[in-house]
Amino acid sequence: MKIAAHHPIVWFARRIFSGVVVVWAAATFAFLIQCVLPGDRAQIIINATSGNVGVASSAELAAINAKYGFDQPLAVQYGKYILRILHGDFGESYQQHRPVAGIIAEQIGPTIILAVTALLFAWIIAVLTTLFIAGRDNMWAKLLNDTQVFFATAPPYWLATILLVVFAVKLRIFPVIGGSSPAGLILPTLALALELSGFFGQVVQNEFTRVLEQPFVTSARARGMSDFGVRLRHVLRHAALPGISLSGWALGKLLSGAILIEVVFARQGLGGVLVAATSSRDVPIVSGAVLVSAGLFVLVSLIVDLTYRVVDPRIRLT
Amino acid sequence: MKVALLVLLGLSQLPSSIHAQEGVAGSVKRGGVIRYGHFQEPACLFGGWVQQWYLQRQYSDNLVARSEDGKIVPWLAESWTISDDKKIYTFEIKPNVKFTDGTSLDAQAIADNINGWLSSAPDLRNPTAAPYLSDSFESATAIAPLKLQVTLKVPFQPLLNVFAQSSQGILSPSALKRGLAVNCENPVGSGPFIVDKWRHGREVTFRRNPDYNSAPATAKHQGPAYIDGISWKFLPDQTVRYGSFIAGETDAIYDIPAIAWKEANSRFPLLRHITGGTPLRLALYTARPPFDDVLVRKAFAYSTDRKAAVDTSFLGSLPFEGNGALSQSSPEYLPELGQSYTYDIRKANQLLDQAGWTERNPSGVRVKNGNPLIVRVSYSNAFLKPDGEQALQVIQQQARAAGFDVRLQPTNPADFFAGKNLGPDDYEIVLLYWVAPGAEIFRISWKPDQKGETNRFNPSRYQDLTLWDIIQRAEQELNGAQRVALYQQAERKIVDEAPVIGLTVLDVTLATKPNLKDVWLDRGSVGEPVFYDAYFDDGK
Repeated sequence: MKIAAHHPIVWFARRIFSGVVVVWAAATFAFLIQCVLPGDRAQIIINATSGNVGVASSAELAAINAKYGFDQPLAVQYGKYILRILHGDFGESYQQHRPVAGIIAEQIGPTIILAVTALLFAWIIAVLTTLFIAGRDNMWAKLLNDTQVFFATAPPYWLATILLVVFAVKLRIFPVIGGSSPAGLILPTLALALELSGFFGQVVQNEFTRVLEQPFVTSARARGMSDFGVRLRHVLRHAALPGISLSGWALGKLLSGAILIEVVFARQGLGGVLVAATSSRDVPIVSGAVLVSAGLFVLVSLIVDLTYRVVDPRIRLT
Repeated sequence: MKVALLVLLGLSQLPSSIHAQEGVAGSVKRGGVIRYGHFQEPACLFGGWVQQWYLQRQYSDNLVARSEDGKIVPWLAESWTISDDKKIYTFEIKPNVKFTDGTSLDAQAIADNINGWLSSAPDLRNPTAAPYLSDSFESATAIAPLKLQVTLKVPFQPLLNVFAQSSQGILSPSALKRGLAVNCENPVGSGPFIVDKWRHGREVTFRRNPDYNSAPATAKHQGPAYIDGISWKFLPDQTVRYGSFIAGETDAIYDIPAIAWKEANSRFPLLRHITGGTPLRLALYTARPPFDDVLVRKAFAYSTDRKAAVDTSFLGSLPFEGNGALSQSSPEYLPELGQSYTYDIRKANQLLDQAGWTERNPSGVRVKNGNPLIVRVSYSNAFLKPDGEQALQVIQQQARAAGFDVRLQPTNPADFFAGKNLGPDDYEIVLLYWVAPGAEIFRISWKPDQKGETNRFNPSRYQDLTLWDIIQRAEQELNGAQRVALYQQAERKIVDEAPVIGLTVLDVTLATKPNLKDVWLDRGSVGEPVFYDAYFDDGK
């Protein structure tokens, strides 16, 4: 029995089940939120479309209520909503009059690219700085460490604006409107990655310093391995573990952070669409995005756990 | 004319070669794509919201056009006659015009559009046309292939003004049958540009309509546009929008940030249109205390130095407007009302004493029958530029001296559209505007509640049957000068009764590169940029 519980297939099935529960909870949450938020839904659809405020005529309201099924009991609406999701149908945007699945599919690519590049960048910066400063006590180490703390606490939105003004508007090194060009990816990536690299850097560095004092490090050095070689081949592998488990959380954070950054840099992606959808309360788009994010998050944590096992085979899948 | 004065052209910094442009052959002007940086991205490429009109202006034509001095001139209608009782309009439609999907643009196509606006079909209904026309419109019919007849139940003289607004641009009826999902994305008109592709979150690309033959009389040329197309980018962030222009990544941008207004003025050609209709004004809730008393409304107006508030907040990029009834680019505008209720704290105190608000509580707020003089201001950044909030804070401080306890209720757009802070007991003041060419906006703002139907566009809840009578008489007045006189009578009455107090205007500003010539702002209603006549003078 105990062996069966640790069998990879059982582990996998349990993970899938809990993933489904997470996504279902997110869907239910998104549904409930729109019912709890103040204001009549038909009213918002009419006013946000026409740019007016005030109570619409009862005939207009009735037409919208019938079109979107708001006149049905909540339980029926919820049932239909869940059924549609099971068929992969996220409904139609109240404002854009297009299927939400299509809108998200069209926009999510650039957002994922930005989030993943930022994660890579954050790792590269964190690993490089750690290799050089951990366990050392000189001016550069102190300076880099302080910089890391600064980036970890600087709001990415603010950082993005500074980067934009300095490197694009003033120095003209990068385009102001990045679009989807590779050159346009650099500033938004940096704006997101710098903050995260500060976090990773601090976590990895603490672990790194601890591992440096372990006996196996001393024995490796005694075997004549160079300092850099020890750091790279032995210590980093151990020190990276807490960072890897943080990556799942980080990717979630990056996806939400990317939304603001995309708006700053006028990049295509979920950001602009979500901001617009939120300010006109285009619920199908917002709940669709919540669902997709929940799904992605489940997927990423699965990948992180698998990676963890590869990096340190002693870890059991539990 | 007043309107002409408001077109602000910063020409001082232009190279001297600009004057040699006269007589350049059309072929020299050809080519190039205008990279235009706009502010907001709408959810659909046509419809009733201002942000949609800007786009619609590029790909669709209207029945008639409105010139800078407010005259109605030919567009798709080459000429028209109006019956003596002003109830039947007969339009002669320009021959050989086609929508870009190949459908003929004839009287039937236009009739289908107009009847659709007033119908209840969600795909066809027009939220801008309906409130203007629903009381007077009877039918639109094609009485011959190129003869359109619009019949009214009662005369409505602003009819042609309404037809000239971009939101009433004529769309291909055969394309409209495809439904909103397709048409929002890929609308079809007969205009100088064709919607090519909408990359959501980034840009809409337009390409030239090579067969364009239906330019309005307000245009500078006829035939197809000079440029190959427009890359209409959405750049919501001010730093990016203005930065992209400075860096040369855009050829024209919309809405210059207040902070850059001075610099932009000295460096680039600027276009500006102050929109007509109602200015950005404070609508005072007149259906209950304290603003059911006209003395208190006036006292509030006198207690606030709104000019100073506007000047300090918008850094000179927007003018003060004291006329709460009508914006300064409307033909019926009375300039002397623009300086109404200039700051006078002595008068404000006098009026409040007279209205019975004689006591003050320990914190200096006036009290009457035990009720403190609290004034809640509802507003949303959907209707107020970012610097506007500061203007409200200044007003809040100033009114305090007269004994008003002003409380600001900022509301996010979604909640605002949902009605938060807008219920009958939720506010004393709300900040709104409605753009239109001129005084025909009075119908929308001041129509009293009828047959149990509340006029939702009257947040002042001010219902004055005498005023409504004047407005209706103006709409039906056949003599132009007398109609203006009636509208001005209404305008005086509104300012005098102070159900609304003027603050500032809504403007459209555009900065263009010096090598980009002949971009202009439409005067139909909201100053949409028109790229049809534009060209690059360096053959870009």
